[in-house]
Amino acid sequence: MKSIGKTLVSEGAGGVYGERMLEGCRVWDPYRSKLSALWYLDKSTDLKADDVVLYLGAANGTTVSHVADYVEAVYAVEFAPRPMQDLLAVSARRKNIVPIFGDATRPKEYAALLEPADILYQDVAQPNQAEIIIRHLPFLKKGGQVILMLKTRSVDIRKTPEEVFAESCAEIEAAGLTVEKGVWLNPYHIDHAAIVCRK
Amino acid sequence: MNWYGESGAYSLDAEAAAARVRQNTNPAPKKLCDWKELEAAGVVKSRGEYLAAVREVSVFMANEGIAKALSEKDTEMLQMVRMLDELDDVINLLTERLTEWHQSTTPGSSRKYTRAASKKFIQTVAKSKNPSMKSVAREILSLTSLRTNLMKDVSRTADAVIPNMSALVGGLVAARLVSRAGSLSLMAKMPGSSIQVLGAESALFSHIRAGTPSPKHGLIFQHRRVHNAPREVRGKLARVLSAKLAIACRLDAYRGELDEAFVADANAKIDKIMEAGE
Repeated sequence: MKSIGKTLVSEGAGGVYGERMLEGCRVWDPYRSKLSALWYLDKSTDLKADDVVLYLGAANGTTVSHVADYVEAVYAVEFAPRPMQDLLAVSARRKNIVPIFGDATRPKEYAALLEPADILYQDVAQPNQAEIIIRHLPFLKKGGQVILMLKTRSVDIRKTPEEVFAESCAEIEAAGLTVEKGVWLNPYHIDHAAIVCRK
Repeated sequence: MNWYGESGAYSLDAEAAAARVRQNTNPAPKKLCDWKELEAAGVVKSRGEYLAAVREVSVFMANEGIAKALSEKDTEMLQMVRMLDELDDVINLLTERLTEWHQSTTPGSSRKYTRAASKKFIQTVAKSKNPSMKSVAREILSLTSLRTNLMKDVSRTADAVIPNMSALVGGLVAARLVSRAGSLSLMAKMPGSSIQVLGAESALFSHIRAGTPSPKHGLIFQHRRVHNAPREVRGKLARVLSAKLAIACRLDAYRGELDEAFVADANAKIDKIMEAGE
């Protein structure tokens, strides 16, 4: 990914959410976006120009807009009507975002729109985050990458984040994925971990 | 089947494609979309054209879905009740600050022991000689009258949108419950025990985590029959009332009209508990 000095940026038309500009590029704030935070903590994260990304939990399209600057196409799934309106506005300006109004726990609602993805990215506040990843594996190419932004507090508030992390990793591995690394997103996002795996 | 249909009968029309997407029942189709198929059939000329077509379908479906979600009958009521609660906060905050300000300019003034009602106090300040203080006080008064009107509006809307719950706990409390639950359809899926502690989340989680005493009531405490009940029966009353509310909520969500027999029956049961406690 592209950086100017030590700052992560993406190339594209600015003004999506009032982001700062640096030498004509959009600054990608790690405190607002978990994918940016992951890059600051682990530089091996990469998005390639010919990647197709399946993005679950697109919300207002803040991170989606940056991802779209890098890759070929983003299929962005969001199920809350209010943020979806914002996502539609973002995708109206970026022709490689396919905004999907659907519930990630029920992929059949939008399965017929999807094509095989190189990267499956998930950032949803649900208790069954590992299960949602597993349900979307049919849409990921062999050898494709999974980036799960695990919100440990959404999984189980009674367990420690470390326990949740270990359990989620085990669940994903049992489904046939290889966990390549787990990165805690401190200090940018508290009690969030990025789990990067390969199919 | 993919959104663009089957070989020989490809079509990119958004409406027809949306119908095909909705028909799909397979959560893990063997064969996903492949834009090369369409290119080979001459339906699209480039990758860009394919993406534009699939976007058209997804945006069409999204607009339909959003319109449907926004036309839910409780959407506006939720915004109204949230605005009402926000107004309360703002009015209190401004009143507090104005009191401090007024006291610091008027040596003899103190609200201690006088117990001047805040509205009366604001009216006094509105006649003050300090022009800025005066206009702040007037703003607060106008916000207060706005709040009163909005409250009536909320009650009226709640009576129409959630008639059964409103009949049990009054429109305002009923609307606040739905607002805290998220939406009418979410609340209709909640058990009575969850409704009982809606609004007491911090007490509930501290109970789960640290074993402090469990909360007896959340928002439903605002209903007069709960906060007026004798201490000994308050928990029982809250439990029965929330169980009845769970039923009322489902009536409101799925039937949408007042069931007088149910309301009379529920009210009788609740009043009986009240009497037993006295």
